[in-house]
Amino acid sequence: MGTLLEVKDLRTEFHTQDGVVHAVNGVSFHLDEGETLGLVGESGCGKSVSMLSVMRLIPMPPGKIASGQVMFQGRDLVKVDDEEIRSVRGNKIAMVFQDPMTSLNPVLTINTQISEALELHLGMTKEQARKRAIELLKMVGIPEAEGRIDDYPHQFSGGMRQRVMIAMALSCSPQLLIADEPTTALDVTIQAQIIDIVKRLKRELGMAIIWITHDLGVIAGLADRINVMYAGFVIESASNKELFGNPLHPYTLGLLGSIPRLDAALKSKLTPIEGLPPDLIEMPKGCPFYDRCRYRTEKCANENPALELGAVRHWVACWHWQDVRKLRKQ
Amino acid sequence: MTAFILRRLLWLPVLLFFISLITFALGVYGPGDPLQVLLGLRANPETIERLRREYGFDQPFHIQYLNYVTNALQGNFGYSLVKYRDQPVGALIAQALPVTIQLNLVAIFLGLGIGVPLGLIAGLKRDSWIDLLIRGIVIAGISLPIIFLNPVLTFLFSRRHDLVFAAANLKFSIGPILPMVQGYWDGIFSAKVILPAFIESLGIIAVMTRQMRAGMIEVLSEDYIRTARAKGLRERTVILRHAMRNALIPIATILGLMMGGLVAGSFLVENWFGVPGVGQLAFDALFARDYYITMALVLLIAVAYVFSNLVVDITYGLLDPRIRKA
Repeated sequence: MGTLLEVKDLRTEFHTQDGVVHAVNGVSFHLDEGETLGLVGESGCGKSVSMLSVMRLIPMPPGKIASGQVMFQGRDLVKVDDEEIRSVRGNKIAMVFQDPMTSLNPVLTINTQISEALELHLGMTKEQARKRAIELLKMVGIPEAEGRIDDYPHQFSGGMRQRVMIAMALSCSPQLLIADEPTTALDVTIQAQIIDIVKRLKRELGMAIIWITHDLGVIAGLADRINVMYAGFVIESASNKELFGNPLHPYTLGLLGSIPRLDAALKSKLTPIEGLPPDLIEMPKGCPFYDRCRYRTEKCANENPALELGAVRHWVACWHWQDVRKLRKQ
Repeated sequence: MTAFILRRLLWLPVLLFFISLITFALGVYGPGDPLQVLLGLRANPETIERLRREYGFDQPFHIQYLNYVTNALQGNFGYSLVKYRDQPVGALIAQALPVTIQLNLVAIFLGLGIGVPLGLIAGLKRDSWIDLLIRGIVIAGISLPIIFLNPVLTFLFSRRHDLVFAAANLKFSIGPILPMVQGYWDGIFSAKVILPAFIESLGIIAVMTRQMRAGMIEVLSEDYIRTARAKGLRERTVILRHAMRNALIPIATILGLMMGGLVAGSFLVENWFGVPGVGQLAFDALFARDYYITMALVLLIAVAYVFSNLVVDITYGLLDPRIRKA
């Protein structure tokens, strides 16, 4: 399969009164057509900002894409003009956001909000767009779609609104769907429904997905490949199976250690990662995970490791990944 | 909804009772006496006493009040005691009210027409020089007192100004841009309306600009604006369809509440520009202790505010579907 999206050395900063916040610090990854990539990390690690940068949706100012390339279908989305990026947004790359309660406009009907992208990108008339919008609502499993198309967002529950968001995102059959924690604001049963819908639609429509989450349980059942992010860096990248079976970065190991397991011994405690991520305004010059790492050495304090191949198609940014693997096996 | 409207309307008589009682008490017991004003300080005490009996002012307070209410319920709001001697209050108000309403409508129209676009621009260009400029103008507009603006603007716009530039040997004159023709009020379709309406609109411009600016800034940071941009919509569509409508909801509320103020005239503006409206009538009545007029005006304004609040609540839903169907 061909490469759909290739991000090279993407850096995004926010210029605030307190200083420059380095939100994304040279992220590189690629995505094949039809692939599902998981983007995992704790709050503030740059998962969302890196994806908003891909669509150039970060508020500028204070945000700024300082450097990097986002190659999509032969174009660098960082460099194209506003007109061109608009023709990509919602059309070729669509996005579903975290909070369905606030992501829909309260004063416009569902029909208006779904139809406007169809009219804009596919040149449909109002009637065609309305018909298509009803089909889309049916596709995401909204009962009595014909009757609900003229309702307003507040008349839908959270789960139903997220379905509307998905319908809206998929309206123009995008090649890439970016899902920014789409299940975080929903309760667990609804989460499962939304994930099932996305999986089914992916089978039917074949788009690639980038799924942002901090929930490893969600991503384990979804992704082909997973990028783990920390303090604006991708620190580990591997296939789903490989990452869960053979984690090489101390941070990934820490994340896995803090998931409750059904097969764990009774009364065994979860092991959280102590400490806090570094201040993104005054970035440490060494490894960003240094302060919290059990395997740290002097080298880690002074030099920031780059991604290197640790196993087959498995990249890790740690000076001591070999030690981590050995220690883990004991 | 019907129950809600009925409940509001049932409160109206209670409200009017208290307002009328308080205003009447202030009129009767407050300092000054309409008859004293009418007859002058050196009037014969016997004449005053005779007139007092004639008008029923010698009666106990509750009798006077009951008489007033009985008459008012039959549509008789008393007579002017001093300046417009013996003219019925109802007729005086009927003459003044349309003038004030018209002037206020022009002022609100100006306030909206100037304030909303200014606020929109300031909100979109937040913290830029144009935002600072707009905010500066608005603060200046609201800070300058009307007693200052009245003469200064009149001087600037309704006179001829001869400008001499001696160095360049130039002399030319401009104006008068808005000649202040002697005589009476010509209605809102004459140039005479511009200055008084503009001065009255300054406060409205300030409120509208600030609300619109704050509203736009708030709305633009909402998640649904990001959603709209993520759809690839043009910035113009994002602003006009997605942002502005949400930012206009509080504007509509303020506007609705202002409708109650339509019937209240400005003392200073109406007097300076010779507008024969409610403001001038109230001004005359207050100075002459002509309290039947004052009472009627206070009641009128109270009723207007109650109704405008009701109208706001009802029409609110037109802009905000969350309230419409709730």
